[in-house]
Amino acid sequence: MNRMVTRIFKCFLLAVLILLAGASTGMTESKTLMMATTTSTDSTGLLNYLAPLYTKAVGVELKWTAVGTGKALALGQNCDVDVLLVHDPEAEQKFIANGFGVNRKEIMYNDFVLIGPAADPAAIKGKGTLEALKLIQAKGAVFASRGDESGTHAMEKALWKKTGADLMEKEAWYVQTGQGMLPTISIAEEYKGYTLTDRGTYYKYEAVKGSDLSLKILVEGDDILKNQYSVMALDPKHCPKSRYDLAMQFANWMAGPDGQKLIGDFKVNGKPLFTANGK
Amino acid sequence: MNFLLDGFITAIRLLFQGDEETYAAVFATLQVTGYSMSASLAMGIPLGFALGYFDFPLKKQLRFITDTLMALPTVFIGLVVYALLSNKGPLGELRLLFTLPGIAIGLTILALPIVISLSAATVEAMDRQLRTTLISLGADRLQLLLSILWEVRFGILAATVNAFGRVMTEVGISMMVGGNIKWHTRTITTAIALETNKGLFSMGIALGLVLLLIAFGVNLALSFLRKK
Amino acid sequence: MTNNSFSSLYQIQDLIHCYQGRPALTIPFLEIQPQSIVGLMGPNGGGKSTLLNLLANVDIPCAGQILFKGRELRPFAQDTRFRISLLPQEAYLLHRKVQGNVAYGLKLRKDRQDRDLKVRQSLELVGLDPESFRHRPWNALSGGEARRVALAARMVLRPEVLLLDEPTAGIDAASAQRIKEAALIARQEWGATLIIASHDWDWLDQVCDQTLHLFKGCILGNGRSNIIFGPWRPRGDGRYEKRILDGQTLVVTRPPEENAALLIGPEDLWLTTTPQPVGGQRQFLKAVITRMSLGKKTDRIMLTLTAADLDLCTHISRADAALQGIQPGSVVWLSYQLEDTNWIG
Repeated sequence: MNRMVTRIFKCFLLAVLILLAGASTGMTESKTLMMATTTSTDSTGLLNYLAPLYTKAVGVELKWTAVGTGKALALGQNCDVDVLLVHDPEAEQKFIANGFGVNRKEIMYNDFVLIGPAADPAAIKGKGTLEALKLIQAKGAVFASRGDESGTHAMEKALWKKTGADLMEKEAWYVQTGQGMLPTISIAEEYKGYTLTDRGTYYKYEAVKGSDLSLKILVEGDDILKNQYSVMALDPKHCPKSRYDLAMQFANWMAGPDGQKLIGDFKVNGKPLFTANGK
Repeated sequence: MNFLLDGFITAIRLLFQGDEETYAAVFATLQVTGYSMSASLAMGIPLGFALGYFDFPLKKQLRFITDTLMALPTVFIGLVVYALLSNKGPLGELRLLFTLPGIAIGLTILALPIVISLSAATVEAMDRQLRTTLISLGADRLQLLLSILWEVRFGILAATVNAFGRVMTEVGISMMVGGNIKWHTRTITTAIALETNKGLFSMGIALGLVLLLIAFGVNLALSFLRKK
Repeated sequence: MTNNSFSSLYQIQDLIHCYQGRPALTIPFLEIQPQSIVGLMGPNGGGKSTLLNLLANVDIPCAGQILFKGRELRPFAQDTRFRISLLPQEAYLLHRKVQGNVAYGLKLRKDRQDRDLKVRQSLELVGLDPESFRHRPWNALSGGEARRVALAARMVLRPEVLLLDEPTAGIDAASAQRIKEAALIARQEWGATLIIASHDWDWLDQVCDQTLHLFKGCILGNGRSNIIFGPWRPRGDGRYEKRILDGQTLVVTRPPEENAALLIGPEDLWLTTTPQPVGGQRQFLKAVITRMSLGKKTDRIMLTLTAADLDLCTHISRADAALQGIQPGSVVWLSYQLEDTNWIG
């Protein structure tokens, strides 16, 4: 019996050692940059496309965690990452004003679109953005909101504010999903309702659904629907341990000619998703 | 649009064509599961034994607490561990956020109450004559401990399988503490969450089946122990 | 310790053992001689198992001390661990095969020499065929077989002290007989001291050098005693009585409490074959002799008597027994003096 126990114990120890060895080799980080970003840059595949090219060009490995813009900013505030790629200009300004971020660089934009069922019960097709939202509210058609403090959610709230609508969180037609963009689109689809999405994610949805596509773009091209993405380093005074130098290197590369060209060339289903506007 | 069938076919393709991303996630899952199970068994079995075997004041209250902790929500553990490991947190110096050992810490917190509570219950339920018998056959303290653990091995095994199931399928902690970083901290469960977010449901189901397959393998291995 | 304490195997002084806060055993002084056979008798809950567990070093007394060969017993002590072995009443078999169970103690002792042979011999000693039993799993045994395997697991260790807790209770007669024989072999072959708790009075009378009667955690004295339980009813004359099923009454003094038990030593029960008036000046009780046995190392005959639902015991000399022509089935009259009875409890 004792021999049995020692044998089991030895196997156990060996397994632990092997795993530890695996971990230590995994942790030999040469030069890595940790980024917090919004879900759309990840789920559209943009970062999967850019990261290896960036590593090849600069020799720095790019790691990222894709969360909503709100949480990305919180990770930055806690100095848990080195750099941010987010899309909520108002919140970003506040972040800088609070002394957490520096050197915000605008990189690229795409735009938001209002999508809904082809039947368009609220008859918003071709209308102005604010007018369309008012129609949806007046008709009581289902509207799916992200409700997760993401950049898209921030944009949507700003738009509702401009229509002068009261807080309608408890109204039955206003559905807060608390989830990412694609699940939110799926929920809108199930409800045969409307939602606000960034164009990139909509294209992704279009690509996934193929011929099953039931939600169509109904409102687009309005100036207030512009979705600006920026890269921002953390204030080294607030986060002395974050890699400020690597963050700036990344920001400059993204805003520079190489990064800008690659962003412009990125396509999903043959359609470009982002317009590079770095300076 | 048959996710289930697509998922099944994709699962087989991922495994047998050696999909690199899938294997990275499988390896990450095995690593965090390995660390956290090792740590929680190494701590949990002796603690559970002590809790079940000895009589001391506040024993009942302690048992009650560990039983309650079995219901710890994983997202809550994730938040607490994040708060501890964040660079602005008390353990930020360790640089464990967004690493596999970081996830393993959270998973250990998840598994430990399960291992303690279930081992304590199985030791409590053991025949009272077992101790008498072992001592009267000449066991010293260590032999007594090992022999009792060996006698209640099925209960300990059940605790292990239970904890393993929860640790391996956990998503909240892995997401929050690990950050779902591709090639590094993306486990099978966080990959499923990501694929679902991308709307690639059949890929999510495929990864789920891969996870199930691994769990099957591990439980198969454990069931051989049971036969001994 | 004083020199003479080394002559005894066990010496108990001022022992008090509590179970869940209540005293379960109180022994001011007790000595047990090496290579003796000691019987423990008394009703369930009297403290027999408690005493055996303490002697086996399984439990530690709350107060007082137990000396083993002049040294105090300490839990898991190296010098006693391998010398004393207890067979508990509900013997636990380890969840492995018979072979593993019997060899377990040898493994603990790291005794690898002739392990298989020793296991076989030990199984034979308790009357189990080694070939057919060695590979049986623990849960494929009858109650009697399991008890014999448990005893074999102790016998294989050749312990200096073998403590047996109700070794023959609740099992088949053949197993009980084998266990009795095996215990004596331990005494004969390697001079083991045997301490046996049992309800089997005849067996204890036959084999024991000393018998202790335990009742409510106290030793009432050597040998068998008559312990009689109520209910006690007042007679009106200051005395109390117990009514037995055939209508006879047992007259007693005033009990100190309702649940008290009456103790009458066997030597305080007088016996005559001449018919006596029941209920006279001396209290007489008509009873039938059910069993007679010769005590070990004495010329006295132990008598077991029954009066309806009451079992009693007494002893007489062989000469008296012959003179009065007493034999099992004889009707006799028993008497006792009230001042010889004691209340306990």
